[in-house]
Amino acid sequence: VITVAIDIGGTFTDLVGFDDRAKRFTEAKSLTTPHNLVQGIIDCIRKSALTAEKIDELIHGSTIAINTLIERKGAKTALVVTTGTRDVYIIGRGNRPESYNLLFHKHRPLVPRHLTKEVGGRVIAGGDVLEELDAAGVAAAAAALKAEGVEAVAVCFLHSYANPDHERAAGDIIRAALPDAYLSLSHEILREYREFERTSTTAVNAYIGPKVGGYVRSLKQSLGGVGFAGDLSIMRSNGGVMTPEMAQERPVAMMESGPVGGIIASARVGEKLGYGNVISFDMGGTTAKTSLIRDGEPTMAPGYYVGGYASGHPVMVPMIDVVEVGAGGGSIAWRDDIGALKVGPHSSGADPGPICYRGGGSEPTITDANVVLGRLDPHNFLGGTMVLDADGAAKGIEDKIAKPLGMSVNGAAEAILEIAINKMSLAVREVSVEKGYDPRDFVLVASGGAGPLHVLAIARELHIPTVIVPLFPSHFSALGMLLADERHDFIRTFYADLADVDFARLVEVHDEMVAEAEAGLRHAKGAERQVHLDLRYMGQEFTLPVAVTLQQLKKPDRKGIRTAFDKLYEHRYAHHSPDEPVEMVNIRLAMVGKRPKLKFPTLRKRGKAAPLRRRPVYFDSDKPVACPIYARLALTASARIAGPALIEEHGTTTVLHKGDVCGVAPSGELIISVGGAR
Amino acid sequence: MSRKPQTKKHKAPAKAAKTVKGTKRAKRPVKLDAVTLEVIRNALPAVANEMAADLQRTSYNMMIYEVRDFCTALVDPKGQLISQNVGGVSHFVADLGVVIVDGMKRYGEKGFKPGDVIITNHQAVAGQHLNNVVIYMPYFHRGELLMFSMVRAHWIDVGGTSTGFGAGPQVADPWLEGLQLDQLKIYREGELDEQLYRVLKDNIRFPESSLGDMKSQMAACRLAARRMDELFNKYGRDTMLAAIARIFDETEQKCRNVVAQLPDGVYEATASIDDDGVKKGEAVPIKVKVTVEGSSMTIDLSECSPERKAGINSRTLAGARVAYKALTGPLDPVNEGSFRALEVIIPEGNIMMAKFPAPMSGWSAIVPTVVDSIVHALAKAMPDRVPAGHHGLLGGAVVFFGMHPKTGRRFVVQSLEGGGWGGRPYEDGESGTVSVCQGDVRNGSIEGIELKCPVLVESRGLRRDSCGAGKYRGGLGIDMRVRNLVDGHWNFEQTRRTKCPPWGLWGGTAGETGGYLLRRPEESEFQTMAGARIAVPVNAAAIVRTGGGGGWGDPCERDPAKVAEDVREELISREKARELYGVVLGDDMVIDHDATVALRRDMKEQRKAYRVEDAGA
Repeated sequence: VITVAIDIGGTFTDLVGFDDRAKRFTEAKSLTTPHNLVQGIIDCIRKSALTAEKIDELIHGSTIAINTLIERKGAKTALVVTTGTRDVYIIGRGNRPESYNLLFHKHRPLVPRHLTKEVGGRVIAGGDVLEELDAAGVAAAAAALKAEGVEAVAVCFLHSYANPDHERAAGDIIRAALPDAYLSLSHEILREYREFERTSTTAVNAYIGPKVGGYVRSLKQSLGGVGFAGDLSIMRSNGGVMTPEMAQERPVAMMESGPVGGIIASARVGEKLGYGNVISFDMGGTTAKTSLIRDGEPTMAPGYYVGGYASGHPVMVPMIDVVEVGAGGGSIAWRDDIGALKVGPHSSGADPGPICYRGGGSEPTITDANVVLGRLDPHNFLGGTMVLDADGAAKGIEDKIAKPLGMSVNGAAEAILEIAINKMSLAVREVSVEKGYDPRDFVLVASGGAGPLHVLAIARELHIPTVIVPLFPSHFSALGMLLADERHDFIRTFYADLADVDFARLVEVHDEMVAEAEAGLRHAKGAERQVHLDLRYMGQEFTLPVAVTLQQLKKPDRKGIRTAFDKLYEHRYAHHSPDEPVEMVNIRLAMVGKRPKLKFPTLRKRGKAAPLRRRPVYFDSDKPVACPIYARLALTASARIAGPALIEEHGTTTVLHKGDVCGVAPSGELIISVGGAR
Repeated sequence: MSRKPQTKKHKAPAKAAKTVKGTKRAKRPVKLDAVTLEVIRNALPAVANEMAADLQRTSYNMMIYEVRDFCTALVDPKGQLISQNVGGVSHFVADLGVVIVDGMKRYGEKGFKPGDVIITNHQAVAGQHLNNVVIYMPYFHRGELLMFSMVRAHWIDVGGTSTGFGAGPQVADPWLEGLQLDQLKIYREGELDEQLYRVLKDNIRFPESSLGDMKSQMAACRLAARRMDELFNKYGRDTMLAAIARIFDETEQKCRNVVAQLPDGVYEATASIDDDGVKKGEAVPIKVKVTVEGSSMTIDLSECSPERKAGINSRTLAGARVAYKALTGPLDPVNEGSFRALEVIIPEGNIMMAKFPAPMSGWSAIVPTVVDSIVHALAKAMPDRVPAGHHGLLGGAVVFFGMHPKTGRRFVVQSLEGGGWGGRPYEDGESGTVSVCQGDVRNGSIEGIELKCPVLVESRGLRRDSCGAGKYRGGLGIDMRVRNLVDGHWNFEQTRRTKCPPWGLWGGTAGETGGYLLRRPEESEFQTMAGARIAVPVNAAAIVRTGGGGGWGDPCERDPAKVAEDVREELISREKARELYGVVLGDDMVIDHDATVALRRDMKEQRKAYRVEDAGA
């Protein structure tokens, strides 16, 4: 079986393929072609020398959904809502997260007010109908929208999460009147209360729907055109994959499909090596992303704000919880108006790039600091395809940072890295310590072009004892897609005191969700179900998701559920209230269809690691160390390397400091015990 | 951690070296490198923000989890603010230090022990309504008292005559308002004072909520202590204290850099509140005087009303500080240095420096107007950064309460609706957003309100034409219409500013003001209403109305296409487009260019005839 994953990033399109009979990996990279993403994919396949006919399954992650939204290049979209709620989408929650900013910006709705139509009909909390749907009103609204030439329609009625009948009926009328328009009904996207967030999520789905739908169709077609006849799967933000048909219906679910690949890969690599508790750390050109995996399961967030909390679009679709900071290889070091040294969040990006790229960049970056310290070899960058300007990097750091601060050039380069490392450590803390997890119980898996360069310093700062540098660290997201299972998440608001929950009804709701989930699965056999109840102490607003079994719901095991909630609460917030009544708000279901596991090859060769050469590298001092340089490809399963040392490979370099000791797993991963971590 | 690179010591910023009274510098100079300083600079706000996130998620009352009516902070024993959360209610940026200064006076440095928890809300020092209860704990490093972790949070009830958002202006003194807690140790060295706890429990209406919140406040304080342990153990006492002192200096310098760019001078503005809620019809004047001299700013509020015999007094520097912060460094973290280059003058007996036992139940009611007036005064000094006036009230409070027939429990509908913000130098103002004193304060979702309470939200919509006109128009206010499905009581009490609507700037017009309306079941029209605890039968409906923002610049300079777009979007009416903007639209909503040019010319002529001086502030 040949499985291929293709990940479209901002700069590069990455391909990783695996032939499980030949036990062989294929990789390829090509420049992303923003104007014709599909062509970029076809080019990348061609470049990989894989034959499209022979590919059995192709998994794809793309930035198309998020870019369509951020660049506001979506469809002309209309919104149909309950009478009285025309402005819910504009008003939002009325908050100003930047509380001292007089010139703050709210989110910018994707639908203008004149394309937002109110229709009569009212469902109340609990789902009862107070007033029947005004079908004539819907038809009139549809006719008006048709006259306006809208390309997409979102429908969001109050309490449709509890009773979707009105939305369904309105959907039928609109579909009949506008057969070519893309239609999204809010209850199909999100069955959770809070009308603004549900409206926003549905509007986003409708807005990006036509473009993403067209993209998926065109991708299928073009792949067919080059002979691909296997299964196409699309990566989604929750870390699972879905069919292209589902992606066309719910493009909002693929918003963050790129970054999650690396997190899935981190979880699988950890699992394979016997580590269930993993923190993934992915550092690329502009940002570093980190996420926590516990017992092999990535942490999920119920949603997020595209474009940031202060002025972004709420998208309440479950996604893997990622913390991102503006620290990547291209992040710029600068001094603020009082002379304090700062790193990021501004990035030199791919163009002009760091000074050492010779692309006209004039601001010193993290990459420049690494070149100055000798940690990146100017003559062996991306396999020697690009010779870096080490003198330019040194001069930039000297002029902009070292001289004004009265430091040596090396000292300034060290300082830049330390500040970046501290920022990234704070991000790792945010996913671990701040959620009640001790980072010392986790291993840190590093990926991205800049991850292995900095990961050991971060691990040391957080006392994390073990670091793993996986195979293909700079293609890691694509590798993760190869390993991802099918996953569909569902939510239903089910509001009741835990003491009074009608569990029979709850089991019915559960079964409905399961039926819906199974309908969308390719690998339904042996699919795994995860059920959570969102619970809180009565009077609170925020909930915690408590894992439950179907048996607990059927029994029903109120006490066990209650105790599990108290325990989880204690873990997260260090106190709990066993005597307070508990309230249930939502039930969540995640359905995971297991894709067949790939069996990766192991390293066969035996023998000691021998350095290729030595090179002067600076570590915490103005005197260089004659540092041994190893080639990753030449390492065998029994290799053992003690820092200081560099391990170079295409696309990245692992930096070992004094005290770090690196071993190699039989399957090829570097397993590094961090010096001074405990 | 690697060794730090060699650095030359920063030259202390010229003016920042001067410290305020009572600030002692570390005797032995500590070498601070750029990295350590930056790391500590990032770490301190992270601690306060983490405290805030925990408090918000574990709290039991919507004033904390939705209104974010709280602050979390670290304060040193001299009362200097080391770090505070950002994002909550803005006016909590002031008035924490005084609590610690007072506590130190009471107990002395030796009077605090590890495990102590102090509870306080007494107005003689705290100067706010009694609902704002401060919990604080001393932080010791190797036996030395170095700071306090603090959480001030709005309890849903503190006894007294009212519950929820706080008592009304008619509450004549603090005894009527509720429990007064004056620097009491609820825990001594980790030991709960059972008797004090019982006094609290027996004298508030929702003890499970408020004492649950107290638990959350303490947990947040303990969290801070754990984080400070990590930092102090890593960097050592001297380095930490030196870094904190340096961060104050540098923050001060950044603020000075902004103020230094403003032309020296005295800037003034006035506003007024309709009345204090007790003496109806007697305006409460607000007059601000801002003096810029070099990099220093003085905000003088002496000319504001003397203290009133109504609960709108306070003892607070918040009005001045929120404005200063918004103008000097809106996105930066807050610490003592943020306000060192600011002098605030408020004499004793002023409405914002009221003497105990002046009533303070509505302590923050006038603060947004004070902030906006200070900003307004500086319009001439920073024309490219000052917007026109915003709705200016804490407002849009939706409060309906009663007994739920299904559960037999008491319920309270609570939501805060935002209003319009003023037009800005480059763009229109935002619509339907909370006041300058409220940050990340969210309205109640319609579905959430209806799930919890027996009401039907009939609409939450923008008010057409409520915005001030201008080259950049103001944002729009809101009408929130709610029908009650059971009988109960509405609270229609709020500060009113109908005689001083949200002002325009540089020729822009004022926005409309808000208010409350009620329609009883037998009535066909809504009537303006005011007052607390108004009993209504089932199926009455109320409208909670918020004001619009003022316009910025001459409306006749607004791009006619934008005016036409606003009409198409039904944000302004065709009539107002003509009357205020001089834009003539045909029946097909297409701009009649010739008529528009002619009308605008006439309007300008007419205005010239009587305009003497209306160039902005």
